Amino acid sequence: MFGHLDTAYSQLTGWLYTEALQPALYALGLMDYADDLYQWLDFAIFGLIGIVISYVVCRPLEAAMPVERWPGRGPVYTDMIYTLLARVGVLPLLAFVLLNGAQSRLDGLIADTGFVPPTLETIFPVLREYPLLALAAYVVVLDFGEYWRHRFQHRFGWWWALHSVHHAQRQMTFWTDDRNHILDDVIAALWFGALALLIGVPLGQFPVILLILRIAEAMSHANVRLSYGSVGERLIVSPRFHRVHHGVLSVGQSGKNYAVLLPVWDWIFGTADFRRDVYPETGDPDAPEGLVTGGWFRQQALGLKRLALALAGR
Amino acid sequence: MHASANIASLDHATMCTASRRATLFLPLLLAPAAHAQTAAPAAAQPSAQPVPALPDRSDIVYVLNSGDATISILDAGTRSELRRFPALREPHHLSLTPDGKELVIADSGGNEFFFLDPATAEVKRRVRISNPYHLCYSPDGKYLVVASLRRDQVDIYDARDLSLLQRLRVGDKPSHICFDPGATTAFVTLQGVRSVLAISLETRQPVWQAEVGREPAGVYWNRGKIICGVMGEAHFVVLNPETRQVERQIPIGRGAHTIFPSPDGRVLYGASRVDSRIVAIDPESLEVTRVYEVPGGPDCIAFDSDGRLWATLRWVQRVGILDVHSGALDTIRVGRSPHGIFVQPRRGE
Repeated sequence: MFGHLDTAYSQLTGWLYTEALQPALYALGLMDYADDLYQWLDFAIFGLIGIVISYVVCRPLEAAMPVERWPGRGPVYTDMIYTLLARVGVLPLLAFVLLNGAQSRLDGLIADTGFVPPTLETIFPVLREYPLLALAAYVVVLDFGEYWRHRFQHRFGWWWALHSVHHAQRQMTFWTDDRNHILDDVIAALWFGALALLIGVPLGQFPVILLILRIAEAMSHANVRLSYGSVGERLIVSPRFHRVHHGVLSVGQSGKNYAVLLPVWDWIFGTADFRRDVYPETGDPDAPEGLVTGGWFRQQALGLKRLALALAGR
Repeated sequence: MHASANIASLDHATMCTASRRATLFLPLLLAPAAHAQTAAPAAAQPSAQPVPALPDRSDIVYVLNSGDATISILDAGTRSELRRFPALREPHHLSLTPDGKELVIADSGGNEFFFLDPATAEVKRRVRISNPYHLCYSPDGKYLVVASLRRDQVDIYDARDLSLLQRLRVGDKPSHICFDPGATTAFVTLQGVRSVLAISLETRQPVWQAEVGREPAGVYWNRGKIICGVMGEAHFVVLNPETRQVERQIPIGRGAHTIFPSPDGRVLYGASRVDSRIVAIDPESLEVTRVYEVPGGPDCIAFDSDGRLWATLRWVQRVGILDVHSGALDTIRVGRSPHGIFVQPRRGE
C-alpha cells in the first residue's frame, strides 16, 4: 500500500511540476528557482495532507465529545482562512526561500573560515544508518526550541501583543492552531529555521517535520474532551493539556503547558499542569472584541496596533 | 568496447549536471519497502561492508537520488533496483578517480565526499569537504575542481591527497565544470550571473569571464570550443575561448541543460529539462541529428556496455533507458529527484 502511495505521490508531483510549474518558471525567466519550486511543491502538498489528516482525525472527535458547543461558528471560519494561508500558501514558500538564501550566505561566510559545519549524523555516526532515528532526533531538538519560543511569546510584552491573536479565540478548535499574526508567523519561521540550520537539519526534511508538528498541534487545539491518561499525558501533548494553556486564567505570563509536542519540557522547567479533569473556557479576557470575532484583516490590524502600543510602553 | 565504456563513464560522471535540492524523507514515510533494503548489512553499514550479490554479468548503474539522500544501485541487465542505501543529505554528482579505482560521490548538503569501490559498492572512506556540488578531475589527473553552488565558491584540490590548494569566491551559483584537454584551464558555469568563468590551473586564478545567456548549466569542451547548456533558454551556445564570444546557438528545447558525448565520441547528446527531450548532435557540424522525447525532465546521462543511454529523470523519480537506435524508452523507478548517474561496466570482460 505504501508503495502505491509513494508512486501516486511521485506521479502527482511529477505531473504538476512538468506540466504546469516548470513551464511557468521558464516563461517567467525564473529557471534559477527550478529546484526550489520543486521543493515548495512538497511543502504545499504536505500542507494539504496535514489539513486533510487533521480534519479526518479531529473533526469526528470534536463532533462526538466536544468540550463546548456554540450556537454559531463564525470565528472558526476565520481560523480556517488562517490555516489555508499558513499551510499551503505563501508563508512556507517565503520562509523557505528566505532561509535558503540566508543559509547560502551563512554557509559562504563559514566556508571562508575553513570550517565545515557538523550535522547530528556526523556527531553521532549511528544516525547515518537510521534515517528515521535521525529524523526523530531532529524533531526532539526542534520541539525543544518551540517550547522556548512559546515561553518567550508569553514573556515579552511586544511578542505577547502578537501572540494574543492566537489566544483571543474563544471557540478553540483544531483550526485554531494556525491562528497567528503574520509577523508572529515570520518570527516563528525564522526561529525554527535558524535552529534547524544550526543543528544541520536538511531543508528538505522541513515538510515532514512540519507535518508531524502541525498534526500534533491541530490535535492539541481540538475542541475535544480527551486526555491521554496519566502516562500518555506525560508523553505527548493532548487536547486537555493544551486547553489548560488556552484557559482564560492562563494567558500572558501566568501560563502553563507551553509544550508543542512533548510535555517533558514543561515537566523539566516547572510549567506543567497535569490535572486531568480540567477543561477551562478558552480566550483572553483582555483582548478587544475585534481580535476575537473580527475577520482576518481586522485581527491582523489589531495585532499590529497592540504591538505598537507594547513597543511604546503603553 | 569496455575500455571506451569506462572512459565514457568517467566523462559522463564528471560532467553531470543539475541544480540544488534538499533532502526529503518522503520515502521514509511512504515507501518503507524500499528502505527496508537499507537494512541489509551492506546498506546498514555502508562504510564497513561490501554490498553482496552484485551481478557480475550485468553493468551496475549508480544513481544519486538528491531529493531523498539515497543512492540506488541498479542491475542494467534485469533493469531492476538491487539496493538503495543512504547518503547523508543531498548527493548530486559523482566522478571516477583518475586511476578508475574509486567512485567519488559528492554530497553537497552533507558536506562530504564518500569514496566507493565501483565494482562492489563498498564505501571505502568519507572525507569532510565544503559543500561539494559538481566535481571534475583535470585531464592530467593532478587536480580536483569542485563547484559549490550554494556558497559561490570554486575549490581546487590536490587530487592525490585532497589538500585544498585554492578557494575562489566567484559569481553567483557556480554549477558545472569542464577542462580543456591540455588541463591548462577549468571552465565553470556561473548560473546566477549568466556567465562562463575560465580559471587558470597554473595560477589558480580566474582569467576571464564571458556572458553566455540566462542560467547556464552543463558545459563541455568540444573541438576547441565550449558548448554550454543555457537553462533559461531553448538552446546551447558555442563559446570560442579564444575570442570569448558566443559563435552560434544549437536549438535543443526549453531548459537546455547538459551535454554528454557517446562512448565513441561520435555523437553528443543534449538534454532539455522543460521540453523533456534528449537530442543527438553531430560534434563536427553541431547540427541536431535526432530528437528523442523523454518525459520527466532528463538530466545526467551515462551509457551502458551495450550502448544504451541512461538518463536521470529529475521530476518523476525514474531513470530512463533509451535505445538510441530504435528510440525505444524504458524506465526504472528510483529515489526522489535522481541526478548524477554512473555505469560500472560488467565484470570479467
